[in-house]
Amino acid sequence: MSRLQRSGPLVLLLVVLVLVAFPFYWMLLTSVTPREALFRPPYRLFRLDFSLGNYRELLFATEFVRYFANSLIAAVGAIVLNVIAATLAGYGLTRFAFPGKKTFAFGTLFSYMFPPMLMAIPLYILFSALQMRNTYTGLILAHMAISLPLNIWLMWQYFQIVPLSLEEAAWTSGASRLAALRQVCLPSARPGILSVAIFSFALSWNDFTFAFLLQTDRKMFTLPVGLASFVEQTGVHWGMVMAAAVLVSVPTFLLVFFLQRYLLSGLRTAG
Amino acid sequence: MAFTVRLEGLDKRFGRGAREVHAVRDLSLEIGEREFFTFVGPSGCGKTTTLRMIAGLETPTAGRIWFGDTDVTALPPQQRDIAMVFQDIALFPYMTVRQNIGYPLRIAGLPRVRVDEKVEKVAATLGLSDKLGQKPGQLSGGQQQRVAIGRAIIKEPKVLLMDEPLSALDARLRVEMRTEILRLHREISSTIIYVTHDQVEAMTMSTRVAVMDQGRALQIDPPRMLFRRPADVTVATFIGTPAMNIMPAVIVSTPSGPAIELLGRQTAVAPRHHASLQGLKHVEVGIRPQAVQLVAPGPERIAGRVFLREPLGLEDEVLVETTEGTRVKVVTAAREEEFPEGMVVGLEFAPQDLYVFDLESRRTLAYGISSA
Repeated sequence: MSRLQRSGPLVLLLVVLVLVAFPFYWMLLTSVTPREALFRPPYRLFRLDFSLGNYRELLFATEFVRYFANSLIAAVGAIVLNVIAATLAGYGLTRFAFPGKKTFAFGTLFSYMFPPMLMAIPLYILFSALQMRNTYTGLILAHMAISLPLNIWLMWQYFQIVPLSLEEAAWTSGASRLAALRQVCLPSARPGILSVAIFSFALSWNDFTFAFLLQTDRKMFTLPVGLASFVEQTGVHWGMVMAAAVLVSVPTFLLVFFLQRYLLSGLRTAG
Repeated sequence: MAFTVRLEGLDKRFGRGAREVHAVRDLSLEIGEREFFTFVGPSGCGKTTTLRMIAGLETPTAGRIWFGDTDVTALPPQQRDIAMVFQDIALFPYMTVRQNIGYPLRIAGLPRVRVDEKVEKVAATLGLSDKLGQKPGQLSGGQQQRVAIGRAIIKEPKVLLMDEPLSALDARLRVEMRTEILRLHREISSTIIYVTHDQVEAMTMSTRVAVMDQGRALQIDPPRMLFRRPADVTVATFIGTPAMNIMPAVIVSTPSGPAIELLGRQTAVAPRHHASLQGLKHVEVGIRPQAVQLVAPGPERIAGRVFLREPLGLEDEVLVETTEGTRVKVVTAAREEEFPEGMVVGLEFAPQDLYVFDLESRRTLAYGISSA
């Protein structure tokens, strides 16, 4: 194999890396560039006038912290409920026989194919009637409506690879079904549970459609909606928008960074 | 009253309609206290299903299961005084050896100190004392199976169920573990109910064996009885290696009563068997390969040609094709020079080594036919 052939994939990877990483770099750079310096030529790839002014303005002069908290509450709620529901549903689908089980499983996957917008309007009407608009519960349930089908499917796949004999060994050791599920099944399905948690988080954290339609009260805005409102109000204060974007990506980054091993093994099983 | 495990008309069907599988058919038997009882048979014969019903992991379609005076048919496994060793070993991968073995006691709520004490005792009997801190994945197959056995015996169950526990191990380890399990059977007070497809395992370990086929118990007897007095052709060919020769034969009338005509030679039948062979013409006759001798060909002898010769070690397995084309397996001393492949030989056997089977029902009609 020639040197060119060997370095070929490496060069390709570098090109892709630059394409992917450059926007992040630009976001970081813009976020620490003072407003007045941003549009002053010459535009260079490296700039030295560093300032945290954008961040200060974002944190203290806007509702950013509130939006952040709203997003976090919705995301944590979505994670907790998704993990509980998907785990129990996935367990039920693998371990119990009931009529219409196949149809249910396929229906679950099929419902995931609907675009969020298609569900958003009925949900708007439903939640209006139930007075659940502008509530955390409503938003969390809406987020679950999109993420739960795939999560159930994922856990269903996961429990299929946990051997039934493990549970039977627990039962014949005297453990109840629930104890066996907790002590024997769940540890084996942990990568799946983490995948569910990450997926639920990502979907909730990045959701615009539902938050925009359901949360009309400014106090209940989540980050994606709140950020969009920055663009309108302030005639695009790019430095601040980019500072917000940096802070928004921090939790996602941390989550994926620390759990990437499990995330990958989760994708392998599902795929 | 002694503790027994009693199956009463046990029946199990899986699925419905055309896809229904009748796994166990009307099985009744009683297993005595501290017995080593083995269900043996080919895959799909219902042996594992029976064991799982005794464990409470399957619900019988009909019939009852009794542990002593208690009807346990409807009880879940947790409420039966059992423990089980699984074919795929089924150790909890996230727990250490110590936690695995101690699991049944921790579930039962025993204090930690007591659990540790018992775990160490069990581990010592099984030679696992230095493995307690390890995870199952770090152990060899044989060690893993020992841990699984340890987890099963630690709570001293009345009934210890073993579902092909040795099938995941290699041949040498299987023999080693066989001895180990036998030793345990002497040391512990549990009744052992064992399932295997390996007749050697069944024969060497059990006090009694049930030979299963198509959901039925063909014969329930101690190992030696199965070998000496098989109830039918299936048991006769299943028990013993190499398998018994089964050949077509005819019952003929002679002045001194009925005789069996086998491979062109007549064998007189002792009077005590006359009644059971009455009115029959075509039958099947079986003879074990060890009971046939290779001799020099002669005018009064069954003639054949050595077709194939396979060394087994001390002995050779020789396949002889008779002049009429019947193939007879013979186990003989490993002296190839005597009867090499292709050589014309004579076959000889003692009449008392013959078994006569009914062609229709395949039941054994007579054995030891010339002895009084």
